[in-house]
Formats: sequence, structure tokens, C-alpha cells
Amino acid sequence: MKLLSSYIKEMKIAARGFYFYIEIVMAIILLAILLFAVNETSSSKSREYLYYDMPQEVIQYMMEKNIAEGNSRFAESVELTVKPTEFEITNQETGETKSYNFEEAATFELQTLETLDPKTGELVKTVYITESEEDMIRIAYSESKLGAAIKMDETGELSYRYYLQGYETDRMENLLYILHNETPDVIEAQKDAQVVRTLDITEKLNNRQNLVPVFIAFMGSLMGFFIVMAYIYLDKAEGVIRAFAVTPSSIWKYLITKIMVILSTVIVSTSIITIPVMGGQPNYLLLYVFLLTTTFFMASLGLLAASFFDTLTKSFGAMYGIMIALMIPAFSYFIPSFDPIWLRFFPTYPMLQGFKEILLHGDAGYVLTFTFVFLAGGLVLFLLANIRFKKTLTV
Amino acid sequence: MIKKLFVVFKKDFLTSRRDFMTVYIMVVPLVLAVIITLFAPGLNDTTVNLAMLKSDDTQHIEYMEQFAKVELFSSVEEMERRVLKRDDIAAIAPKGDGYEIILQGNENDIIETYAVMLNTLYELGSTREETTAQLISFGRTVPPLKTKLVNMLISMTIMLSGMLIAISIVEEKFENTINALNVTPISQTGFVLGKSLLGGVVAMAGIICAVLITGFYDVNWFMILLVGFTSMMLSFIIGFLQGIGSDDVMEAAAGVKMIMLPIAGSIAGYEFLADNWQWTMYWSPFYWAYKANNMILSKTADWGTVLLCTGIVIGLSLLVYIAALPKIRKGLS
Repeated sequence: MKLLSSYIKEMKIAARGFYFYIEIVMAIILLAILLFAVNETSSSKSREYLYYDMPQEVIQYMMEKNIAEGNSRFAESVELTVKPTEFEITNQETGETKSYNFEEAATFELQTLETLDPKTGELVKTVYITESEEDMIRIAYSESKLGAAIKMDETGELSYRYYLQGYETDRMENLLYILHNETPDVIEAQKDAQVVRTLDITEKLNNRQNLVPVFIAFMGSLMGFFIVMAYIYLDKAEGVIRAFAVTPSSIWKYLITKIMVILSTVIVSTSIITIPVMGGQPNYLLLYVFLLTTTFFMASLGLLAASFFDTLTKSFGAMYGIMIALMIPAFSYFIPSFDPIWLRFFPTYPMLQGFKEILLHGDAGYVLTFTFVFLAGGLVLFLLANIRFKKTLTV
Repeated sequence: MIKKLFVVFKKDFLTSRRDFMTVYIMVVPLVLAVIITLFAPGLNDTTVNLAMLKSDDTQHIEYMEQFAKVELFSSVEEMERRVLKRDDIAAIAPKGDGYEIILQGNENDIIETYAVMLNTLYELGSTREETTAQLISFGRTVPPLKTKLVNMLISMTIMLSGMLIAISIVEEKFENTINALNVTPISQTGFVLGKSLLGGVVAMAGIICAVLITGFYDVNWFMILLVGFTSMMLSFIIGFLQGIGSDDVMEAAAGVKMIMLPIAGSIAGYEFLADNWQWTMYWSPFYWAYKANNMILSKTADWGTVLLCTGIVIGLSLLVYIAALPKIRKGLS
């Protein structure tokens, strides 16, 4: 009963301050960004510059064939201005170098072709066609993009000369080499003969939905860590903690009410972001249970960290360092092929993956396992914070 | 005026030294710079991961290792368990006379395309030696992802100094030192400048060291400093506004989240918005600062563009400052 009345009192205080409303405004802004600025399908920004060293009729025939097969489409021509520049190129095989010096700025009118995924029709990359190899080299250098000259010999065979920036990996270079042993028709025929088996047909999140776990985890749970610290410092500064020491209420009740305020705020902000974007798709019971346990864990971590300092300024370094470290798993979330084992030990890694699984109706076992891990971890951190606060109550 | 300004600077320096604040603002960008230097190669090498059988043909395994990160397993079941894990990995398993590609089903499309293509080329016997392709290099060594991370680090350091000002103003208010300052000969402008000086000097030193640690020795330093200085001005104004507008540390903390939004939004807008939608970010000075830094770090910047970007940053900062001046004056009174 005391706990409930403390919680109601804390919520009333929170409702009087700006923080609670800023959280809601932030959630609305993020929702607006998701709904109006992020497309459901990802729009590729990949660009290449090509020069076709062959008769115009052949170029036209190749393009029309690609368009007819649904592999590409024409787009509006673009005008591109490049600055005066000076650089050197090196042939990777022979080591031969050549210098270029363009003293004047130049403007090019480039024919544009959009390469599409034949299965989905989505844009894969935009290809700009130049009128000479020198133009292509200059533009590829100035724009820091891949360039290629495609030459057709007397027998109709195509040969490629790629202009790379220099930072591409050996694996990428090796692939470019082996792509050009056989004719495209031979490769295509062999490719069609490949057997692909899928183990588990799982739905994918679209581009917009894919951002929801990041917003929930970072703006909700992770910020719980930061905000609970601010709450404690405010009470320390105002002497509330000292006043609390002379009341019959126990310290854990004081601490848990702080966490309960954060949990209430996070439920509201998460609902604002998730429900309009995901609709009825996720398992909301699991979502809220996971949200509450992860936020409880992070807020308990915040409490423990707050017990070592007496002002927000003094804790700034530790707080900032922990927050930055906890954001690192986002790299693995957005680049799934970058998934080192050490990264999985960061609490935000299972948080991001857990929210993703819930939105996808995926591996409930994984989510429940980590729900218990976060609950147990949160309880341990909370107990430690409680012990620390009992000792440092008057700090 | 200058002397009084340095009095505030000195006072702030001494106070912050007690709180290790100066050290934090200096150290955080440096630690992050080391992390970027360590992780950037791994992040850049995002070619496909493949699972293969240990019992597979050695030549086949060695062939695939030229193009992908290969993990070896004892049985097809083990490979399947690996494929079902959370990250993106494709398995290539022997089946009959050939091979089959095993996928989980939720991978990025590029994983399937890449795995299918590699197996196709292996079956065709394609080798590097028989290629008709030539590779020519411009000799650049810094991957764009590293450039972006360092640029984000610069934005973050600037944000950090803004946050610091907001929090320190709230603490000054709480301790009534602002009222005490009103009875000293120092003017409000002197106080504002002096208060900004410490964050500015320390953050700029942090940025310079971070840029050096990440290996960008040969960038145009005048350009970096110019963009850093101008974008910091805006961060300070926002920091002051939030500090003055917040009654307690709780509101300042919430305000910190609000500072993060335009910065993160500007970076995301620059990186992800299509060219024809970039104009929607023109209102944000952080967008212009990020754009200018991106060009400087990738060594494609010219003075005309950098001056235009910094001019826009200064213009927008002045607009915010002029609009906020009455509030700042009132808050300091």
C-alpha cells in the first residue's frame, strides 16, 4: 500500500515536470519520422559510373534487353559538375601508373539507368553512363564511387576495366576478378541450376519496421538508465533522500518507485511508436513483458551507477561511457554480417534482437530466456544498488 | 572584458577539474577514436559468411575462403543449427553430385545472391588467373564507413559540450552562483562567453586528437577547425537555452534527449535520404556541419563549399541566438 501511494505521489510529481511530456513529444516526433520520412522499402543510394566502349547500337540493344527482362529502367538524365582535380591511378596487376590533371571544372550530362531486383522490382543501384572513359574516371574519382569501362572486341566478347577507390577488401577484388571468366549467359544458366533450400520461412521486417526495435531499445530502455540517474541526483540535490532516511519507509521502496515511474513512461512512449507502425502484428503481451524487464535491468544499472556519485556532472563520464558502449550492438543489428561473439555480451544486443523477434513473431524461446536473464540481472543490480544506497543515504 | 572572460574560464576550469569533467570531455572522444580505429576494418569487410563441412573438398573450402569468411562444421545438422542463428550466414553443403545452398529465410537478399553466385562460379571453374577483368585503383585507403564514424564522433563531441553547458548552468542556478555573479563586475555576455570557452577549448582539443588517432593526418586542418568552431557555437547556444530553461537537473536531462534529436536526425537525413529529399534537412545547421566534415575527411572539400556550409551554420546559429537572447538575459538575471 505504501509502495502504491509512493508510486502515485511520484507519478504526480513527474506529471508536474516537463520530463514526462518531453518523453511523449519525443515519441510522437519519432513516430512522425518513421511514418513520413522512412519508406517501407529501402531505397538504394548505390551509384556506379560506366563507360561503354562499343557501337551505340550495341549499347542500345543491351539496355533495351535489360529493360525488357525487368532488370533495369531508364531514369531522367542528370547534370553533374565536378571540380578541378589531380590524381593518379594504378593498375593492380601490372603496377603501371598514370596521372590525371584536370585544371578546369566540368559539367557532364549523364544518361541514367536504374538497376532493379527482377524479383521485387526494388532499386538496386543507379548507373550513370558517360561519353568517354576519361569522363568516367574523373567522375568516379570525384564522387568516390565505382567506375567501369566495358569494352567489346571484334568477336563480340566483353571485357571489364574496374576503377576502384583503393579501400575495397581483397575478397571484393577477388570476386570482381572471377566474375569475368565466362560470358553472362553461361553464368546465368549455371546460376539458374543452383539449389537453394530454406530452413525456416520467416517474415522479414520492412525498412520502417526494422527501426522500431532500435527506437524502443535506445529511446526507451537505454534512456531509462540515464533518466533514473537524473531522478536520483535531483532528489539528492533537493535533500529528499535525507528526508527519506527519517521516514519509516524502506529505501528499496523509494528506489522501486523511481523505476516504476520510468517503466510507466516507457510503456507510453513505446506504445506511441509501436502500435501505429506495427498494428496488430506483434505479440504485445510478450513485447510489454520484455520491455518492462529490459527497462528494469537498465534502470537498476542506472541506480547502481548513481549510488557512486552525488551529482549528474560528476557521473557524466561514467554515464556517457556506459551509454556509448551500450549503443555499439546497433552496428551488428544494421550490418548482420558483422556479428563478433564479444558483442553478444552487451545487454543491448539481446535487447535489440529480442524486440526484433517479438515484432516478427519469431523465436519466443529466445525472448523468454532473456526476459528471465534481464529480470534476474535487474534484481541483482537492484539489490546491489539498495545496499549502496543504505550505506550512502546521506551523501 | 577579455580579462573577466578568462576569470569565468579559470573558475570553470578549476570547478570542472574537481569533477574530472574536463578530463571526461577530452577522454571520451579519444576512447571512441581508438574503438573506431579497431573496429572499422571489421565493419568494412562485410562480405558474406559461409558455413561449410570440414569433410568438404579442401580445394572447395580454399576457393570460398578467397571471397567469404568461412566457418567449418562436422555435419550438415550442425551447419543448419548455425544457419538458424540470429546473424546472416549461408551454408554450402554437398548434395548428390553438386552442392545446395542452405538459408534460414530471413537473410538480407544480398546473402543469397552472393552465395549462389560464388557456388555458380566455383562450379564453372572460374579463377582469378583466367579473368578478363582489370582492376585499377585510385589509391585511397580510408573506407567511407570510417569517415562517417569519425564524422559522427565529431558531432557527438560537439553535442557533449552542449550537454555539459546545459547541466552546469542548471547546477549554477541550483547553487545560486548565477545570482552571485550578477553582483560582480562581469557582464552577462562575458559570463556566456567565459562559460562556453572551457567546453569549446576542451572539445576542440578532443576533436583534434580523435582525428589524429583515427589516422586522418592529411586533412585540411583549417577547414576542420572552422567547421568545428562554428557548429560548436550553435551547440553552446542550445546548451545555454536548455540550461536556463530547465528548473532542475531532471529537465536538463530530458533536454539532452532533445539535443540528440536534431543531431542524429541530420546525420540520418544526410546518409539515408534520397538526393531529391535532402532539401528537407536544410533547416538544420548540424546537417551542414556534417556535410562539410564529410567532404573534408574524404578530402573532396573546397573552400567555396566549406565557407558556404559554415556561413549557413553561423547564420542559423545567429538566428537562434537573436531569438533566444531575451530568454538568456532573463534567465541570467
